[in-house]
Amino acid sequence: MIVSRINRGSEYPTPGQGRLIQLVSARHSLQTKLTASFIILILLISGLTFFYTYGATKAALKESTQDELIQVAGIMATQINGDNVILLQPGEENTTRFIGIRDHLAAMRANSNEITNAYIMKDSGNGIIFVVDDIYGTDSNAARIGESYTTGENSTIAEAMKNPVASKDFYTDKWGTFMSGYAPVRNSAGETVAVLGVDMTADKVMAKQDFIGYTIYLIMGLSALIAGLIIFYFSRTMIRDIRKLNDTAEKISMGDMSAMVNVQRNDEIGELANSFSRMVASLKIMMSDDDNKP
Amino acid sequence: MSQLSEHVLKETTVYLGPASGKFLERQTQSHLNGLQFDKLEKQHLDELVKWVGISAGLLIGKDKAEELVKKIQGL
Repeated sequence: MIVSRINRGSEYPTPGQGRLIQLVSARHSLQTKLTASFIILILLISGLTFFYTYGATKAALKESTQDELIQVAGIMATQINGDNVILLQPGEENTTRFIGIRDHLAAMRANSNEITNAYIMKDSGNGIIFVVDDIYGTDSNAARIGESYTTGENSTIAEAMKNPVASKDFYTDKWGTFMSGYAPVRNSAGETVAVLGVDMTADKVMAKQDFIGYTIYLIMGLSALIAGLIIFYFSRTMIRDIRKLNDTAEKISMGDMSAMVNVQRNDEIGELANSFSRMVASLKIMMSDDDNKP
Repeated sequence: MSQLSEHVLKETTVYLGPASGKFLERQTQSHLNGLQFDKLEKQHLDELVKWVGISAGLLIGKDKAEELVKKIQGL
């Protein structure tokens, strides 16, 4: 009888006795490989996305900063009377004309949180010189009338004699590292007599870039973590059922015919379990048939 | 082989594989008064189902055996 033969499972080595199939080490387990592969894949995709997104965002941020600087410089330049600016000569820092323009510049600059300096420059024929610096009188580093300005920005300032422009990139001078916007200051005849400049410190722009960078890093990190957990969970259930099949196979191979396949799934592993169960059942029937033969 | 025998064999093969014929033959011979499986008739089904449930349960587990029993009952 089938029943008697199956119940004789105890005559055979029990699982664990002379175990043929060793447990797979965590390092070589499919679960570890699957989880690690997916995490690496996610990190790779996220990394490439990060570099592309960060680069594009940085360029867009720079462009919007340049636009903002041009706009602010343009608006402030229209508020300055070029006729008064052109009259200022070296040594006239304490005149009412100078103080009036300087205070007007300082007041306009104070309306913007982003702008750290505002000043007026002109082309003396021998180079770019300062005319009004809005921090004159409050900062010992302020430029005086006629003080020459020589950095890589000179060509940009010269260009601003025609149209409002912004620095192509950050530049460094004795006051710090900035990105600036410039706009022409015109006289009553509409002629450009000077250039108004506004500065934004690199720190402020870099802080914006860093914020975007950190946000992308955070999103990437969280995505990788969540994806890793999901993959770990799914691979664990998959590997658990493969192990069950493996255990059953091992028991039967050791002669324990009472072993049964106990895997309920609707996927390919479920199909494998059904096929395996069918095979085992047939094997048991045939073996019991052989037992009944004389 | 009767049509009913063929259907029962077909359903049983899904669960017990190629040895299903031997299994069913043994059930009918042992529990249905020596009846040959290929002579199975509708009136034998209830008794056959009862023994298939018990014996298949030992081979493939109770849950799957119950599934098989329900399929045979539905024939």
